[in-house]
Amino acid sequence: MINAQLVWIAFFSPLVACVLITLFFLKRKTSSSLIAIAGILTSFVCSCLIFTQIFQANPPAQLQQSLTWITIDALTINFGFLMNPLCVMMLLIVTGVGSVIFIYSRGYMDEDPSSPRFFAELSLFAFSMIGIVLSNNFIQLFIFWELVGLSSYLLIGFWYAKPSAADAGVKAFMVNRLSDFGFLCGIILLWSISDIGHGRSFLFTDLTAVVGHLDPHLLTITALLLFCGVIGKSAQVPLHVWLIDAMEGPTPVSALIHAATMVAAGIYLLARTFFIFEPSATALTVIGYTGAITALMAAILAIAENDIKKILAYSTLSQLGLMVMALGLAGPMQGMYHLTTHAFFKALLFLGAGSVIIALHHEQNIWNMHGLFKKMPITGMTFLIGTLAICGIFPLSGFWSKDAILALAYTHDTVLYLIAATASGFTAFYMGRLFFVVFWGNPTALHHGAHGHEPHESPLVMTIPLIFLAILSGLGGFMGIPHFLFPQQAPEELNWRVALISSVVAILGLGFSYMIYGKRTASDPLATKLGIFYTVLKNKFYFDVVYGWYVDNIQQNVALFLSKFEKEIIVRLCVGGLTNLTRSGGKTFRYLQNGLVQFYALIFILGAVLLFLFMMRVL
Amino acid sequence: MSLFFFYLFAAILIFASLVVVLARNPLYNVLALVVAIFSLSCLFVLLEAFFVGIVLLLVYAGAVLVFFLFVVMCLNLNAIALDQAQQTRFRLLGSMMGLMFAASFGLAAKSFIKAQTMEASNIRGTIEIIGKILFTDYLLPFELTSLLLLIAIFGIVSLAQGALSTGKDTENS
Amino acid sequence: MITLGNYLALSGIIFSIGLVGVMVSRNVLKVLLSLELLLAASNLSFVAFSKFNGDYAGQLIVFFVILVAAAEVAIGLAIIVVMYRRLSTIQADELRTMKW
Repeated sequence: MINAQLVWIAFFSPLVACVLITLFFLKRKTSSSLIAIAGILTSFVCSCLIFTQIFQANPPAQLQQSLTWITIDALTINFGFLMNPLCVMMLLIVTGVGSVIFIYSRGYMDEDPSSPRFFAELSLFAFSMIGIVLSNNFIQLFIFWELVGLSSYLLIGFWYAKPSAADAGVKAFMVNRLSDFGFLCGIILLWSISDIGHGRSFLFTDLTAVVGHLDPHLLTITALLLFCGVIGKSAQVPLHVWLIDAMEGPTPVSALIHAATMVAAGIYLLARTFFIFEPSATALTVIGYTGAITALMAAILAIAENDIKKILAYSTLSQLGLMVMALGLAGPMQGMYHLTTHAFFKALLFLGAGSVIIALHHEQNIWNMHGLFKKMPITGMTFLIGTLAICGIFPLSGFWSKDAILALAYTHDTVLYLIAATASGFTAFYMGRLFFVVFWGNPTALHHGAHGHEPHESPLVMTIPLIFLAILSGLGGFMGIPHFLFPQQAPEELNWRVALISSVVAILGLGFSYMIYGKRTASDPLATKLGIFYTVLKNKFYFDVVYGWYVDNIQQNVALFLSKFEKEIIVRLCVGGLTNLTRSGGKTFRYLQNGLVQFYALIFILGAVLLFLFMMRVL
Repeated sequence: MSLFFFYLFAAILIFASLVVVLARNPLYNVLALVVAIFSLSCLFVLLEAFFVGIVLLLVYAGAVLVFFLFVVMCLNLNAIALDQAQQTRFRLLGSMMGLMFAASFGLAAKSFIKAQTMEASNIRGTIEIIGKILFTDYLLPFELTSLLLLIAIFGIVSLAQGALSTGKDTENS
Repeated sequence: MITLGNYLALSGIIFSIGLVGVMVSRNVLKVLLSLELLLAASNLSFVAFSKFNGDYAGQLIVFFVILVAAAEVAIGLAIIVVMYRRLSTIQADELRTMKW
């Protein structure tokens, strides 16, 4: 039996932390970080308890509790939660990885004077993310979806004085807004066509029951519109442009939001509401190909990138593409499995990168980092584990989850399999490039920043999370995650052929990267070898250029036109005209009061005569 | 016979009213009004309302218009008035208003059919009868008018006092 | 034969003349005199009605109207005197302060 109180406590404790910090502790760094950590840890502990409660029962327990929030005629909006195995697993990831990152942030943001604000915003994010995970209806989901977008904006633009950071925050928010428009259209369309006998509903449980009776074409359109939201939030092509610039935020933010949890919210949405997508083959195909194209494109772009965080961002994009592709192949279990393991090793990689950045005093260009393995052994080791996990090397967790997806693709759609396999090859290549450039070799006279210190290992508060995540990345494959996610589904057998092929591809990729980057050079040798192609890659396939041109030329002109319309016609003509009319009317009528008594008498008589004629029925 | 007198007095009345409005010299205005009151009084007598006819003469022509003449002569207003222009700028408009009013009044009178055929009653407003009614049915208004006259006297005295003392600047009133 | 209509027509004419005088005169004194004309016309009308309806009330009203008119003229003239003292003129146009 699930205890509903635990769910509510898990839900609201980060919000309480955020409010407390904002109201009382905005000047105190230590207290605010401790309160935030306490908030998220409470949620984590509650999630663990709920987990045990769910899986004590057989079949695993499920609970829905909601209260009716708004009722307007036929429109009913609820507020509540739907707790089932999928939900509790996602909750564990969010709160677990979240707790680890919160603790890490304590060390990372130690020097920053506005860290209390950071922890408040981070707690707000945790609350919104938990809201998405727990929601049992589309409207509540949408509300928290937007809230998460807001938190992301706040955190990306955390150092708002820096223009690039502020711009990146706005860019993320605007791109998400665009996708959310499609999302909202999808939600409303779904509501309008759903008829559960006694009205219409937004609840997932109600919609599950009724989805069989819906018109297939409308269902496809709805599914595609809902997928729009996923495109924005999980940064698929063509709305992937915001995730790269989102790296302007502090590294813990990148780790938590833009690697482990928020961008995974789209995948979670797809899995949670998979009953809508399942009947529609068209929608699934679109989803699958979008994911695959994203995976491949991001992997290729990562080769030309030189900022450590942006390389990791591209790898996130690529892995998200893989997850979306898995869902497009009707494999929610595989997608969610990879989401879980990805959360582990991506957070690990980002935190490791953060450790390096701090040690080198905010240096982010990999060509200024050299041979750090000897100076920062713990960071180096954990980073290596993360790298091997993401490449899919046996027996780390990434191997199991990625191969599940590849096996699914292999048996269902060869084209998608080939694209995914190529993407995995590129993944191995650029991750190897990253590792070899940053950590390998001897630390020679390439000095580090303008400070001239030698880099040293990060403090314990930062390395312990790294170790913890490394253990999870290593052993994740053996924890039986798929069973916990979808208890009803039978476990998949390992497809040895696919596993073999992907391992070979990965090792080849790593080998290539060693060949090119093993001997450390001053700058990237690929730049000269690839020539023009390299320029295209540097410009990110010109997506930003095209969007920029569109915004500058088309959108700006439309906006200016509308602004002028509003100013001239609505304000000057209509509103201004009205006031001018009144004013001139007043000026004219003023002459009736000229102070001459006889004139008044005249008007008086006129009125009397008119009244008289009116009474006589003449007028 | 009485028809002839009616038309005679009516003509005098109208002519006198026109002089009141149109003449330039204020003295002419006042005197024309006196003539008008006289003819009005005769018309009252024609209507056998003897009491009000005499009262009209006594009060109006005897007191009010004499008061008018006092003011005109005392302040030498006729000299002032003759110097300045006589008509306002709203001549045309005012005349039109008057015509409209007359027309509508005529319309009303014309539609009052009964008035054309009515027989005169044979009441006579002698002093005896009017006095009796005045002191029995209408006693209260009668007494109140004396109060009204008292107030009027107060008003006039205070106004005139103020007017008189504008001559003397420094002395307290 | 003199009907009520005759008297009413006469009363109307006098009233209109008086009205024009009130509206058009530039001289305040003339305005006051025209006002007297108005009152006279209504008095005539009252008495005519009284005779033709056989009711003495009309004549009594006339009595009171004469009384009140007398008081009103007295005060009006006092005001004119004050005005003359202040403005040295009796043009109605000079009294212009009650405007916007």
